Amino acid sequence: MTYDEHTPFIENLPAYAIGALDAGDIPALEAHLKTCASCRTELAGYRIVSESMLTAIPPKQPSAALRKRLQNRLPSAQKTSRPRLVWSMNPSMIGLAAMALLLIFNIFSFVQIQSLQRQQTQTTKQTENNQTILALLSYPGIQTLPINAENITGSLLLDKDRNMAALIVWNLPQLQVNQTYQAWLIDPQGNRTSAAVFHPGSNEPFTSISIISPTNLSNFTGIGVTIEPAGGSNQPTGLRIFKVDY
Amino acid sequence: MLVALSHIRKGIFFLKYGIVIFLSSRDETELTRYNKYVIDIDESKLIAQVAQGNEQAFLEIYDRYVHRVHGLTLHILGDSMLAEEVTQDTFLKLWSRARQYLAERGAFLPWLLTMARHVALDRLRLEKRRPALSDSNDPEDAWQVLPDHQTTSDESRWRSMYFAVQSLHPDQRQVIELAYYQGLSQTEIAEVLGWPLGTVKTRLRAAMEKLRENWTEK
Repeated sequence: MTYDEHTPFIENLPAYAIGALDAGDIPALEAHLKTCASCRTELAGYRIVSESMLTAIPPKQPSAALRKRLQNRLPSAQKTSRPRLVWSMNPSMIGLAAMALLLIFNIFSFVQIQSLQRQQTQTTKQTENNQTILALLSYPGIQTLPINAENITGSLLLDKDRNMAALIVWNLPQLQVNQTYQAWLIDPQGNRTSAAVFHPGSNEPFTSISIISPTNLSNFTGIGVTIEPAGGSNQPTGLRIFKVDY
Repeated sequence: MLVALSHIRKGIFFLKYGIVIFLSSRDETELTRYNKYVIDIDESKLIAQVAQGNEQAFLEIYDRYVHRVHGLTLHILGDSMLAEEVTQDTFLKLWSRARQYLAERGAFLPWLLTMARHVALDRLRLEKRRPALSDSNDPEDAWQVLPDHQTTSDESRWRSMYFAVQSLHPDQRQVIELAYYQGLSQTEIAEVLGWPLGTVKTRLRAAMEKLRENWTEK
């Protein structure tokens, strides 16, 4: 190969050595280098210059924070920080936590609604009771009998024409959760027929209960109240609170 | 146990120091060779340890060369925050690719700096920004910060290369800066500077020739 044939390649060697040769000129030069030992030697000289230019830049110390940042990227630091990262960032964990919170909120809401419904039922029942008692009190032929027992007073209202009665009792003690008061209609033979199951009023000092007799009220001669297990009994089993004969 | 270990360490230090004193009393060139030998052996071990995932060795390599890597990335990018990011990326690359380094194919520092240059130029292209060409660092001050253990014969040659680049004609230096430290091709340089392509090629060739002469003279 003559010098003239070498010339274009030799002229491109410095630019090639430092990566500045245009992309279009590279394939031809690289093909030439494969077959030309003298150009390879020449290129090696420029390569050394290129390499030394890397180290020819004055050194500069970076901030101390860089070392810490780099250390934090190493496996040992990743291992210690990963569980916390996973706990705080894992979307599935966040989803589960959200579902659990939603479930708890729903259960709480359900319990609240149940409680409100119970209160509403009691209030409605009490209102009906009070209305019945008011109606009884205003009726001209109403019979009123006193209730007298230990620490307990009140009245029994009787409307035999309509087979209705009402108990208004003061100072009725509160019961345990598994207990209830039960009113009984008593016939002349002493048989008891369940008339009502009730709890003492929690907001007022008196308790009012309306009773509708299943048969003619005149068939009975008295009304009594006992303490029974929650839900009531078929026949009296517990302590008698009072009895009113009429 | 700890006291015994401390005595052993002291003993090794004085033995090593004694050899150095002995060598220095004979001939300074031999001392330089000895230092370089110790550094190279130590460095090869460290790199091998890094390749095996030894973080302590990695941090030692970092402490030893970060100022060189950061100097280069800062020179290329011209922004200290960006340069720190690229310096970090370079060392993370070293952490994952240390086993690719082959001592028989060349010294470690140029290999590391080649990697840093590529990362920095990639970032430069990504950012599409071109920092100022002039080097604001005072060369004398900058070279003062080099640690003593690196004052080998190679180091003095690299210093002289820096001064050789600085002593180029401004037009030639500008071409070298754009080509080597900004990653531009000759055609791109011609466009940036508004010079004919032939002029760029001539100035680049002349600059490289001068630098090669300067290198081979040393």
